[in-house]
Amino acid sequence: MLSFGFGQTALVGGLLIAITCSLMSFFIIVRRLAFAGMGISHAAFGGVSIGIAAGVNPIVTAGAFCVLVAGGIGWFSRKGKLHEDTIIGILFSASMAMGVVLLAVAKAYNQDLLSYLFGSILAVSWTDVVILAVMAILAIGFMVLFFKELLFFSFDEETAMASGVPVKFVYYGLLVTIALTIVVSIKLVGIILVSALIVIPGATGLQLSRNYRSVLVYSMATGILSVLIGLQLSFSFNVASGATVVLVMFALFVIAVAVSPRRSYMQRVFRGKAAAEPAPQEGLPPAPGSAEIPADD
Amino acid sequence: MSNRPSKMHSCKVGEYFDATSGGPRTLIDLEHVFVELDGHPVLQDISFTLNDHMFLGVIGPNGAGKTTLLRVILGLVKPASGTVCVMGMQPAELKSELHHIGYVPQSVFFDPIFPVNVYDVVMMGRICCIGRFRFAKKADKQRVMDSIRMVGLQGLEKRLIGELSGGQQKRVFLARALCRETRILLLDEPTSGLDMPAQRQFMELLTDLKERLGLSIVFVSHDVNVLAQHADEMVCINRSMHLHGKPGEVVGSDRLQEAYRCEFDFLVGAGDHHTTEGGG
Repeated sequence: MLSFGFGQTALVGGLLIAITCSLMSFFIIVRRLAFAGMGISHAAFGGVSIGIAAGVNPIVTAGAFCVLVAGGIGWFSRKGKLHEDTIIGILFSASMAMGVVLLAVAKAYNQDLLSYLFGSILAVSWTDVVILAVMAILAIGFMVLFFKELLFFSFDEETAMASGVPVKFVYYGLLVTIALTIVVSIKLVGIILVSALIVIPGATGLQLSRNYRSVLVYSMATGILSVLIGLQLSFSFNVASGATVVLVMFALFVIAVAVSPRRSYMQRVFRGKAAAEPAPQEGLPPAPGSAEIPADD
Repeated sequence: MSNRPSKMHSCKVGEYFDATSGGPRTLIDLEHVFVELDGHPVLQDISFTLNDHMFLGVIGPNGAGKTTLLRVILGLVKPASGTVCVMGMQPAELKSELHHIGYVPQSVFFDPIFPVNVYDVVMMGRICCIGRFRFAKKADKQRVMDSIRMVGLQGLEKRLIGELSGGQQKRVFLARALCRETRILLLDEPTSGLDMPAQRQFMELLTDLKERLGLSIVFVSHDVNVLAQHADEMVCINRSMHLHGKPGEVVGSDRLQEAYRCEFDFLVGAGDHHTTEGGG
């Protein structure tokens, strides 16, 4: 794959997106912003439509539009006395409806639109990679510089505020960073699948560890592995790259659930097998309390 | 409402910083504070002071505005009128002094699987000491461990916060409030939801810490009996000030029953109260 120019750009772009989304995913999961992420990503359809209808780069219009929607979600849920999920539901459906109407008026339903809906990372250019890198540095920079503030705010907003954490800045900053991350990720998986990139890595990390440091490491590993394996598979079998990356990510999540120390499914399976085998410790005293457990009839 | 001042007044900084007066230093000073939320009056004409090393109990029935009062002191709610001085400054100017104030909120609604352990939660309390764009240093880590030890949770540093009992979680939040250079400790119903032995243990721990660390405490509770045994002074509010004085004076007053709209039966150490008009 790397012998082709488009393979190299796809890999570098994909890894940039994976690292940014995986880090963002941690905060999306612990702050319970998965629906906000989904809402903003679907609202991007409205932004892309504005760009296509107006003949402007759709990524630029989608970026501006998503930041606007993210700000709207924040403002309405804080000041407008509406629940966050309510305003997300309203804004994302209205944005999509606006996109459909705009495209119909501009008669702009075409192949280009499909690439925004489902992604086309193999068509990424080096210019796109540079844009991705700048956005990634901004998003990662914000999350690293304000990491302890973001963690405190996500855990206990009121005490964070009482401790001098600039809660408004951190909240809106997080929403805007989510919006920008989503927009740059559209190139890889498209509007419809982008929410997977910002939800699954964090959720996978949370299955494997109870310490936020390890959760972050597992989240990053999930994102990077999914891009590496997904791109290779899509290249080998000539299938859609974005969808393949998401499916690999989902498979890693399922594996994480299976081996999760939280649930201990695998431990129970192995324990069950061990229990089914004849006990080699004949003559040993029974485990404490085992005599009191009545046998099942 | 008659003596409501028309505007906010500035703090008399000298009251806190001037050591020549000889009297106890005033850490918190509220004068004729009125607070409105969404156009509705929540607190009316509240005045009291917290001096150095004082344990002030704020009591009042549910919905009396006790939590709002703490939020006013912390600068999270701006009063409509009156004067609020904390360490000689208005709450909005307190940013550089926040490390002297510890706050234990009434309840923290966190996800039980939130991936932070006891150490991480207590470290959050150091945020105003560490500063922005900086990482925790060795001294910060040592302070966190000391605070965990002070509240008796040594050995549980690595435990997930969601796995602890309610009483242990309250101790974690107390440690978080203490792991800075705390001089004023604000506690919002920290014993609510705890059983009697856990309540007693918590109060004994708090009294001990107050003496050892020289803390000044504002303790908000709807439970008169918890505070009557430990506070130096008590304030009873129900939107407005009803009482202010020594615990014996407050507990024995008819105005307390008026504030709670119920009768109290103060047998020594018992402290059951019988509601006559629904739940206060």
